[in-house]
Amino acid sequence: MTPVRALENTLSAETVTAGSDAASATSFSAEPMSVLAPASADEVAEIMKWASGEAVGVLPFCGGSRLPAVPEDHPYVAVSTSRLSGVEIYEAADLTVTAGAGTPTTTVDRVLRENRQWTPFNPPRVEDRSLGGLVALGESGSLWMGYGELRNHVLGMTVVTGDGRVLRLGGRVVKNVAGYDLIKPMVGSAGTLAVMTSVCLRAYPEPAVELVLVLTAPSIDDLAEAAQRVTTAPVMPVSIVLVDGTPKLAGSAGLVLRLHGAPSTVAADRATLEAHVGQLFEEVSTPNALLTDIRDRGADARCCIEVSAYPSRLADLLGAVSLLDPVGILVDVYAGRARIGLAGTDPDALGRATLQLEAIGGALRVIRAEGPHGSAGVGSDLSPDEEDLTDRLRTAFDPAGVMWPARGQRSA
Amino acid sequence: MTRPLAPSIVAALREIVGADHVITDADRLIVYESDGLTQYRVTPRAVVLPASTEEVAGVVRLLHVEGIEIVPRGAGTGLSGGALPTADGVIVGTARMNQIQTIDTANRLARVQPGVINARLTEATRPFGLYYAPDPSSQSTCTLGGNVAENSGGPHCLKYGVTARYVTGLTIVLAGGRVVRLGGAGRAAAPGLDLVGLFVGSEGCFGIATEIEVRLLPVAQGVQTLLGIFDTMEAAGHAVTEIMASGLLPAAVEIVDRATIEAVEASVFAAGYPTDAGAALVIEFDGTEAGLSDDADRAAACCVNAGAREVRRATSEAERVALWKGRKKAFGAMGRIAPDLLVQDATVPRTRLPEVLAQIAAIGEKYQLKIANVFHAGDGNLHPNLLFDRHDPDELASVEAASKAIMQLCVDVGGTITGEHGVGVDKRVYMDLVHNEQELAMLRLVRRVFDPDGLFNPGKVLPDEGEAVPPFAEVGSGCSASEVTT
Repeated sequence: MTPVRALENTLSAETVTAGSDAASATSFSAEPMSVLAPASADEVAEIMKWASGEAVGVLPFCGGSRLPAVPEDHPYVAVSTSRLSGVEIYEAADLTVTAGAGTPTTTVDRVLRENRQWTPFNPPRVEDRSLGGLVALGESGSLWMGYGELRNHVLGMTVVTGDGRVLRLGGRVVKNVAGYDLIKPMVGSAGTLAVMTSVCLRAYPEPAVELVLVLTAPSIDDLAEAAQRVTTAPVMPVSIVLVDGTPKLAGSAGLVLRLHGAPSTVAADRATLEAHVGQLFEEVSTPNALLTDIRDRGADARCCIEVSAYPSRLADLLGAVSLLDPVGILVDVYAGRARIGLAGTDPDALGRATLQLEAIGGALRVIRAEGPHGSAGVGSDLSPDEEDLTDRLRTAFDPAGVMWPARGQRSA
Repeated sequence: MTRPLAPSIVAALREIVGADHVITDADRLIVYESDGLTQYRVTPRAVVLPASTEEVAGVVRLLHVEGIEIVPRGAGTGLSGGALPTADGVIVGTARMNQIQTIDTANRLARVQPGVINARLTEATRPFGLYYAPDPSSQSTCTLGGNVAENSGGPHCLKYGVTARYVTGLTIVLAGGRVVRLGGAGRAAAPGLDLVGLFVGSEGCFGIATEIEVRLLPVAQGVQTLLGIFDTMEAAGHAVTEIMASGLLPAAVEIVDRATIEAVEASVFAAGYPTDAGAALVIEFDGTEAGLSDDADRAAACCVNAGAREVRRATSEAERVALWKGRKKAFGAMGRIAPDLLVQDATVPRTRLPEVLAQIAAIGEKYQLKIANVFHAGDGNLHPNLLFDRHDPDELASVEAASKAIMQLCVDVGGTITGEHGVGVDKRVYMDLVHNEQELAMLRLVRRVFDPDGLFNPGKVLPDEGEAVPPFAEVGSGCSASEVTT
C-alpha cells in the first residue's frame, strides 16, 4: 500500500469520495497524489501530520478558481475545504458571524442580509469565493476606506498548522487578542502558513442609504486632479476609485465615489465634496452594474498586477502603469493602490514599472500571470530582513515546509 | 535582588547615548520600578534613554552581547505591568525620542518617534484639519510607542478601531541591534505577510519600534453627545444592545455604574449625575453635522425604549465636557471609596453585558469587595474596578481570587481576558483560560522568530513552560486610585 492510500484509509470514506468530487470541478496544473475533503479540523490535522511526516506538499483550496501552478515533479495532496462549510454561530445583536472556511461568501451574505447586516468586503468575483479563500487572499476591495481593511474585521479563526496543530486564534468579540496577534499574518497569507477551518468576522449594519457619484472624462489622467482633491476633502466617502474606460460609463473613464449614511448625511457630504472639488458630480441612480464592473475591473485579464505608491504620487503611479499596456485599471485613490489587468506578461516591461514605482517609494506585485513567463522573479521583493522574518514565521507554523504555496515560493 | 551593572557596561552605554542619559542612581531608579500597575515593583539595573534609531540599535547590540535583558518603556502608563523591570534587566526608555518627524497632509500620514505623546500628535495635526484616532484615556501622557506595543484603544475605537488599524509602517530594532523596516503606506502592494500587524500589540516582547508611520483622519464636522440615566445597569445594557442593533454607529458608548456615580458625585469632580441612578450611559456621535441630530434622536429613543428615566443632550462644548466629566473623572474619584484600586480589563459579547455585570456584583459580594464598573460598553470592554486596602493581606488575597473569578466568567460567556490593557505580567496567570498548552507553545515560537534569545521583556505575556505564575498578592502592594486612567 502506498503511503497516501494508508492516509486515505485513516480518514472517513466520504472525505476521499468528496475529495474526488471536488477534484472533478477543479483544474490542477499537476496531478495531486490525492484530493481530500475533510469535514473537521481534526481530520485536517491528520492529513497535515501525515504530509509533514512524508514531506509531501499540501495545497488547500475550495472553489479552485485561483489555484497557484504546481510543477509536475512536486508530490502533493490537495485539501478541499468544501465540507468545512456552514454558518456555525451568528450573533446578530453582537454583529459577529462564525462560519466554516469552505462556506460560500454568498451563504454568509444571505444570512446577514436577513438581519439587514453585511460584511463590507468586495474583492473581485466575491460571489465565487469561500470565506476561507477570501481571508486567505486578504483582499478588502475598495470599501476599506470607510470600513477598514479585511484584516481588521477578522475576529477569530481556527487553523491547522503544517504539522497538524489545531490552533484557535482570536475569538468572537471585537477586542479579542490575548497574546500576539497571529490573525494578522494569517490574513492574506494565501495558504503559506496553515489551513483555515473556520473564521469569525465582524458584521456591519447595512447603510441606510448608498449614494454613488461619478465624474467622467475621456481618460483617467483627466480625472487625476479631481481625485486628489477628493482625498483632501473634510468628509470621507467610503470609497474613491478611478476606473478606465468602461461600457458602464459609455466608454468614458470615471471617478466614482460611494457615500453611506443617513439621507441627510450623504446629501450634506455630497455638497461638501462638490464645493471642495469645484465640480458637480452626477448621481448614478442604478449603480449595481457599474459597481460590479469596478469591483472586477482587470481581475480576469491574462495577467493581473497590483501597484502602489503614496496617494500624492498618483500621476507617477499612472505613469508607471502606462508602460504596461493595460486592458483594465482600477485605482483606489485614497490608498494609492491600483489593480491593473494586462493582456499578457512582459517581464521586461514589468521590471521597468517596478523600478519606476520603487523609486517613488511604491511597489508592484503580480497577482496572477498566465502564459510561459508566469510571475516568477517579477515585481517587488521583500527586503532581506523581511524575508528572514517571514521564513522564520513560516517555519513556526509549518516546520516541515509542506504548505504548497510557500514551497512554490521557496523552490522558485 | 537587583545587581548593579558592571562599570564597563555603564561606560559603554554612556558612550552610545551620552553620560546624562544612563541612570544608575538608586534614587532615580525608583521612578522606573513600576508602570501604571503599581502592585508590582522591581528595581531595574539601569535605565538608558537613547534619542535615535541608531542609538537604540547600539544599546540593544551591547546588551545582547552581554546577555542582559531589555525592558522597553514609553511613558509607563500601562495597566498590565508590561513595562515592569526585571531584576536582571535594563530599561530602554523612549522619552527622548519625542519628535514628530513629518506631518504629510497630502497623504494624511504622520511619521513619529515612539516617545511622542498621543495627544500631542492630534494637537500638531489639528491645524491641518486632521487628527490621530486612537484615544486611550491616558492620551495626554501615554506615548505612541507604548500604544503600538499594547495595540491601544480608547472610548472612540468603537467606531474608529484600535491602533493596528492606523499603523502603516514601522522601523524596529530587533535582537542584536538589527534595524528592520516594515511596511509603509506607499508599499501596500508589496508581497509578504502582515508583519506590521503582528508587531503591533506584541507588548515589547519582539523588539523596539523606533519610527512609526500612522494614518490620520479628517476632523469630524460636528459632535453630538447624550447622557442616558437608568434605574438599573441591566436597562443600560439593553439600551446599548438596542443602539448597536439599530444600525447606528456611535463614536463612543460608555457606562458608569451606581458605585461610580456615587463616588464621582461625592468628590470634587461632581458632574451632576443623579446619585440614585443605577447607571449612566454616555453616547457620542461624530461626523457630518447634518446627520448627527437624526442619529442622536434615534439613540435617545433606544434609551427610552430600554427604560431610561432621562436622556440629556449637550448643546454646547461646555455641556459636552460636563456630560463626559462623570466618566472621565471616575477613577480619580474612587480614591474616596478605598485607598487602592485594581482596574481589571476584559471583553465579553455585548449582548451578555447585563448578566455578566450581575455576576460581577455577585463575585464582589462573595469576596466582600466593592467593585465599581466604568467601561466601553459599545464593544463589550469591561473595566471592573476592585477597591481595597493594600495593607490588609486578607483583602489582597480576596482581590486576587475575585479577579480570577471575573476572568473565568468573561471567558465562559465567550469573551477574553483583556480588551486593551494587554496581558503584561498581570494576566499571564490567566492565559491558560483562553489558550491551551499547544497554543501557548505556538506563541512562544512566534516570540522567538523576533527574539531568539528571549532578552526582550522576559516574563511578560506568556507563562514560561511549566511555570507557576505567582499571584500579585505575593509580589506587590497595591495601586493608588489617583494614578489610574483607562
